[in-house]
Amino acid sequence: MKLFIQRATVLGSLVLSLTACAGQQTTPESGGELNNAEAPSLAVGAIPDQDPEKIQRLSDKLTAYLESELEVSVEYRPVTDYAAAVTAFKVGDLDLVWFGGLTGVQARLQVEGAEAIAQRDIDEQFTSVFIANVNSGLQPFTDISGLKALKNKTLTFGSESSTSGRLMPQYFMQKTGLTLDDVKGKVGFSGNHDATIKLVEAGTFEVGALNSQVWDSRLEEGAVDQSKVSVVWRTSPYYDYHWVVSPAVEERYGAGFTQKLQTALTGLDASVPAEKELLELFGAAKFIPTENQNYAQIEEIGRQIGKIK
Amino acid sequence: MDEPVFKLAHVSQQFGALTALSDLTLTIDLGERVALIGPSGAGKSTFLSLLNGTLMPSTGRVEVLGCDLSRLGPRKKRWVQRQVGTVYQQHHLVTNLTVVHNVNAGQLGRWSLAKAAWSLLWPQNIELAAQALAQVGMAEKLYARTDRLSGGEQQRVALARVLVQQPAAILADEPIASIDPARSHELMALLRDLTELAGKTLVVSLHDIEFAFQYCTRLLGLRQGALQFDLPPAQVTESMIDDLYHLAPNYPAPSL
Amino acid sequence: MSSSHAAITKLFAWPSWVNRRSFWVVMVWVAISTSLYTASATGTALINWNGLGQFGEFWLASLNPDLSPEFLAIIGRATLVTFAYAVCGTTLSVGLGFIGGVLAAETWWRTVFPPSAKGSWLGPLMWRWVRVLLAFPRAIHELIWGLFFLSILGLDPVVAVVAIAIPFSAIVAKVFSEILDETPQEPLNALLNSGAAPATAWLYGLLPQALPNLLSYASYRFECSLRSAAVLGVIGAGGLGYEILLSLQSLRYSQLWTGFYALILLNGTVDLWSAWMRRRLGFTSRLDLHTPAEVRKKSNALNPALHRSQDWLLRLSWGLIALVTPLCYWRLNIGWERLWSPRTHRLLADILTASRPVWPTLEGFQALLHLSGLTLAMSILAMALAGLGGILLSFPAAQTFLLPAGCLSIGGTKGAVRARSLFWGSRWILLVSRAIPAPIWALVFLFVLFPGVWPGALALAIHNLGILGRLMAEVNENLDERPVRSLQALGASPGQIILYSVLPQNLGRFLTYIFYRWEVCIRETVMVGLVGAAGLGRLLTEQLSSFDYSGLAITLGCFILLTLCVDWVSQQIRKTQAEF
Repeated sequence: MKLFIQRATVLGSLVLSLTACAGQQTTPESGGELNNAEAPSLAVGAIPDQDPEKIQRLSDKLTAYLESELEVSVEYRPVTDYAAAVTAFKVGDLDLVWFGGLTGVQARLQVEGAEAIAQRDIDEQFTSVFIANVNSGLQPFTDISGLKALKNKTLTFGSESSTSGRLMPQYFMQKTGLTLDDVKGKVGFSGNHDATIKLVEAGTFEVGALNSQVWDSRLEEGAVDQSKVSVVWRTSPYYDYHWVVSPAVEERYGAGFTQKLQTALTGLDASVPAEKELLELFGAAKFIPTENQNYAQIEEIGRQIGKIK
Repeated sequence: MDEPVFKLAHVSQQFGALTALSDLTLTIDLGERVALIGPSGAGKSTFLSLLNGTLMPSTGRVEVLGCDLSRLGPRKKRWVQRQVGTVYQQHHLVTNLTVVHNVNAGQLGRWSLAKAAWSLLWPQNIELAAQALAQVGMAEKLYARTDRLSGGEQQRVALARVLVQQPAAILADEPIASIDPARSHELMALLRDLTELAGKTLVVSLHDIEFAFQYCTRLLGLRQGALQFDLPPAQVTESMIDDLYHLAPNYPAPSL
Repeated sequence: MSSSHAAITKLFAWPSWVNRRSFWVVMVWVAISTSLYTASATGTALINWNGLGQFGEFWLASLNPDLSPEFLAIIGRATLVTFAYAVCGTTLSVGLGFIGGVLAAETWWRTVFPPSAKGSWLGPLMWRWVRVLLAFPRAIHELIWGLFFLSILGLDPVVAVVAIAIPFSAIVAKVFSEILDETPQEPLNALLNSGAAPATAWLYGLLPQALPNLLSYASYRFECSLRSAAVLGVIGAGGLGYEILLSLQSLRYSQLWTGFYALILLNGTVDLWSAWMRRRLGFTSRLDLHTPAEVRKKSNALNPALHRSQDWLLRLSWGLIALVTPLCYWRLNIGWERLWSPRTHRLLADILTASRPVWPTLEGFQALLHLSGLTLAMSILAMALAGLGGILLSFPAAQTFLLPAGCLSIGGTKGAVRARSLFWGSRWILLVSRAIPAPIWALVFLFVLFPGVWPGALALAIHNLGILGRLMAEVNENLDERPVRSLQALGASPGQIILYSVLPQNLGRFLTYIFYRWEVCIRETVMVGLVGAAGLGRLLTEQLSSFDYSGLAITLGCFILLTLCVDWVSQQIRKTQAEF
């Protein structure tokens, strides 16, 4: 018996010393039910397809703008993984997140009372493009039935939970009766839209599907070798990216805060230089109000495809 | 204490098909100096392992200070084991610790874990360790690194470790197997004096029977696990010794 | 009698080359060729020559990293953050791993339940239990642990720290237990026999002897934590991994390379410093994995270099460690209170309910089996290539071989210049290979290879080659030089010396490292599943993005089973090596 007590003492003292040296620093900032100090910061997450420097500028500007408009402290939390962002929103550590169509729906389904409040002007009429390597022999087509030609071609999507780079393209393929087993080999997941372009350009995959906004801007930058890759089809429009807010903000900052947030976001004015830069960083001319109902189609497709359980 | 220090009753030790000791019955009293002699493989080390509780007999009973080790709980068993100190041929010291820690290791049976841990940072009970080192003639090496000592010095540290343990009996397994004759005499005299002075029991296995005759009060002759004789040195004859070693054609001749 | 009879039957029944060793040699070849077949079974071409342009574009950017002050400032801060995570992850995993290592050591259970006492059967039982339990945290990649902890602890630095600490402490525990079991036991037994209690006897009889080896491994663990900390950036930890992923999102190669150079610098510095520390401590090997046969031969004598441990530089290093470690904990501002907050309990209960596995149908089971096969094939190919490449590069990368005064040195000024460039060149290749994360390698290979098992296998091969080659170079540096010198005196060429003296001495250790790394590689297949490679990793990322917890439980179960299998096989092979 003494032996067990002794062993417990060794273990206990080790664990204690480890936790003791650690326990001294506790985070005062984090939100939710974890602490009941004076109102914690509004935690914001936003991961547009931008490089680190721009994200840095964006986070500073966004924080400053929201703080001045809402008169609460705002904290930007960097999360690049969409599954991680959804999880953080679910557990209540992110209050306001810039989600894609599918991830927004996934997040709202896990948090009762969460609301879609704003989206970019372009998100109302968002499209995807199917691009093909010249060696694939695919010709541009205008009717959705043209997608049948993808049979026995190799195909890559972007990331698994991307709406424009996976969900909607797969949905349109299914509409023509084409399943993922009909393509040659296994469908690829390049991870992001730019990698999709490069991999189709390289010929690793014959066809790729991606966000048309990224495609257009890369064309404009001249970053695409058009002798190797071109658009074969542009999809019909659907709703995509949007801001989702957690119901916890109403509890924390008082009723009507969601409304205030919506007004702040849609109030971004391209004629004010600082706000114009923020809008540019999001690739938007302005933000417009939106509502949960707009994403019913996405939810239905998500369920069909198995991305929503 | 009237009780014998060690009491063996019909003790046998099997290792698989091999019989290391068979049907041993004897007692060893306080203050005796017993030499175990016999050819290699006779069971001398096994015998010592039974006395300090490393092994439990396959059959029979071993009592140390009146207690049957195989029937004791771990705490009581450790209490009895503290009364028996062992010096090993290979010393079994922790060479990257300083001498004081190796000597203090002999006190661990009496120390709590906290005290033992603290002592590694801030050596405790130094007087006792220093005293023991002085007894073995190494007083000045208290804070030396053990791996910087010679083999003979390390053996003395091992002996000092047993001394601070303050046991009733000291066991020594071939203590002079790897040192030169002059040092062997020095060490055996030291063992004799230390035990004689404190009235302790000494049980020592020796391959060199000359030392057994000179330093011990009782000789146990072991061959193939069986006790051949158990007599004071004066009564052991040359023919008994010849029988002990020479009759076994498989074993090498003793280094007489 | 019966045993000698059995020995005779064994002797006469089989030709001498039919033994456990040749069995495993055949098994290794069968495994590699099966994997080759599986990987090439898609029937398409392997190399995509048209992608050479994109491939070249990536490498050209290495000459032109983004060095603008704003970006350098971002990367500099990120480097510090990654470093801080690595420090916290290492200290925590070494602390927990030490406790686990004691509990996973056969010696500990033998001390507590001595074989001769009542209840001795409990010891081996407990030991086996702990060993199996440790396989669970090891089998799951840091990134998956990260996502799991994110969903119960929320968005906080504690997530990344715990995500590194959990699998790493299990690995540390495994290696520590092996070190403890291989430390000479006689002093411990001597103390136990004199009536010392188990814990005290360990404190004086075993731990002091094992300490230098334990410290040496801990410093190697720091290098590993650094690589993991970079990966965990994406789930909210920030740091280099986060910046690199952002640059990758938009394929800004020149920015990517700035990030890589930061990783290379960090890895290289830590590598040099920890090698120096170990030399000063008298232990030259970062990961002292022995075959049991070697341990028997190893003497108890310590390296004389240990005597210089009074070195003031060493003291300075200890001082720095003591100073920097709390600083890192303070800098990260870890929310430990989340570990025991009621919210965490609620979320844990939620996720455990949600992840109750739904047993797969026969079809689903077959699919899982197929994907497990692909994962296994990918890891086997990766390890075969990494092992081979690592061995080849370990010779020029060893300090004691080609360089002047080394045992394979050719001599002459021209020879010395060539040797030096080979040395630094191979070291650089190894450093770059291990500093760049596996998913990046996978994307790069995807430019020039068609999709399938190969891009992932090659990515893992390159990343692991960097790690293995470095470990193997160290084995070469610790080689007993006498046989080499004697062959050299005979006039043998460097190639002949390697074949007849170096390889026979070191091959066993090389193989031990390869098998040790194989287990890690299985877990890492998750990382390359992200970029369109095949196997369980692909399934796992799909399930993660669908929040399909019950499916995830099954897939992770497959990983655990694979890890247990790999663990068993490498144990068997190590035992076989011990017989010879």
